[in-house]
Amino acid sequence: MIFTWEFPPRVVGQLAYYVNKLAVELTKRNVDTYVVTYNSSWTGPHQGADGIKAYRISDKVRPQINILTWMLSLNQEAERAAADVYYSMRHEVNLIDVHDWHFIPAAVTLKRALGIPFVFSIDSIEPHRSRNSGAPLSLSIRSLESLGVSEAVRIIVKSEWMKQEVKHSYSPSDDIMEVVSTESETWIDGILASYEKGLKVPVS
Amino acid sequence: MLSWEFPPRTVGGIAPHLFNLSRELVKLGVDTYIVTCDFPGAPERELVNGAHVVRVDSYKTPSPDFATWDFLMNVNMQKETATLIRGLGRHFDMIHAHDWLVANAAVGLKHIFRIPLVATIHSTEIGRRNGLHTDYEKMIHQTENWLSHESWRIICCSQFMSGQVRWAYGLPQNRVTVIPNGVDPSVYEKQFERTEFRRKFALPEERIVLFVGRLVHEKGVHTLVSAIPKILSRVNAKIIIVGDGGMKEPLMRQVANMHLAHKTTFTGFLDDETLRRLYQIADVCVVPSLYEPFGITALEAMAAKTPLVVSNTGGLSEIVEHDRTGTKVFAGNADSVAWGITRVLLDPGYANWIKLNAYQKALEVFDWVKIAKETKRFYERVLIEYENGSWKPT
Repeated sequence: MIFTWEFPPRVVGQLAYYVNKLAVELTKRNVDTYVVTYNSSWTGPHQGADGIKAYRISDKVRPQINILTWMLSLNQEAERAAADVYYSMRHEVNLIDVHDWHFIPAAVTLKRALGIPFVFSIDSIEPHRSRNSGAPLSLSIRSLESLGVSEAVRIIVKSEWMKQEVKHSYSPSDDIMEVVSTESETWIDGILASYEKGLKVPVS
Repeated sequence: MLSWEFPPRTVGGIAPHLFNLSRELVKLGVDTYIVTCDFPGAPERELVNGAHVVRVDSYKTPSPDFATWDFLMNVNMQKETATLIRGLGRHFDMIHAHDWLVANAAVGLKHIFRIPLVATIHSTEIGRRNGLHTDYEKMIHQTENWLSHESWRIICCSQFMSGQVRWAYGLPQNRVTVIPNGVDPSVYEKQFERTEFRRKFALPEERIVLFVGRLVHEKGVHTLVSAIPKILSRVNAKIIIVGDGGMKEPLMRQVANMHLAHKTTFTGFLDDETLRRLYQIADVCVVPSLYEPFGITALEAMAAKTPLVVSNTGGLSEIVEHDRTGTKVFAGNADSVAWGITRVLLDPGYANWIKLNAYQKALEVFDWVKIAKETKRFYERVLIEYENGSWKPT
């Protein structure tokens, strides 16, 4: 199961295209893949042309006052979607791949509640986005990134540089970090290998 | 039960409500867990009257505003509650949320564990703010709306609140059950040296007029302050205002400008024991609220045998019967508040009559044992509906 706040046709940055590519490749490798993502207009499960099952969740609380309150409300919908899949699949959800901080709270709760481990795939981090701002909103987002780093079974980044940046900001242990460059032809093998390692970590 | 406050962390009425309700539910055999925010000096886990209290990190990183802090606190509350439920083998039948402040944690847990969620709506944003004026208020309102629609059934503490919740969120009548708040009269029976205690607050010849509540607009404390000159023109009294809030400074200035600072005391927040004693030595307790979902202060005065003057609004209208269990005055009308207070202070026979009737009503209607039994019946009804439904996981 993949958690991402952007997925085509909702495209905010590069992440949407990457997650789409990932979901397509995983499906080709016979990994039963569900993408839980945001879309304010389209809701419910949807079977894509490539066999990807996208579960688009919508806002239950509007208006919102900032990106945090918005995302934290939306996290409950991500949990509902994930739980619906979990119960319909008779508890056969093995791993969640969370892209950036937006759905970290849902992933952490699902891990604690149902024992589903998660991989934290980091595309960008708040210290870069906010240029080390000390504003409360930015500090709060960093606290969620920090929570994700401490609860994830694996952390996947796309470059050595980002690995150093994540280490510098959040000090994860070296052995749970993985660099998988999307430039590499065998990148999907690297992702799958990382998933496999993650599945071997016992979840308390 | 999920709540952002539980003693010793007491912010408003939810903490004492849960303290009393959980104690009686445990006596009825309901295995009760309360997950709440941490508090300096309070243990992370303890048994309080048989109820398991779990205090979670209430999120200490700076937050942009109260609502954002609350949503972040819910991340911790949800995470720790999930750990608790899984750790105990998922043997939980129900989640009971108290107000929007725990909505995020409660709704997510309901879906993850597929156990029914019920909620007590103690007050509403649209009522507290007398309308919805900003995105901040609208967001809280919509969070309440979402919680009430995600909840299997709703508890409100008064018919007034039931009506408001149904109107504000478009809920059908059969989804909302009215179970009143309660009070424990035994806490007002402890003996103490009254004369000595009274001397700290008033001269022997002064009658004591007591207000207890947050110093915010909805509590109508400004109406009482405006009524002080009229009260003093007829009775020698000391006005004691207990509580804190944003209106404290302006009200103190208003009192000083009226040259009545020597007749008015702002005590700030008081500990439970001092407050209970104050109720007992007061000659009248006034609750001049403009908006009051229930009116727990009125109930405390009734249990303490203090004559009551209340504004004829919200839950107060239901608790107090005019000229029988208290005196009702017009909300927001200082002349009316002054009239009610002087009437009680100048007629000892009348004051005695209303206070004894009120005490009797507190014993009979607002008894926590009775309230816990009604709450347990409410739980059982939801569980039967849940068992017979198709949402339960297989």
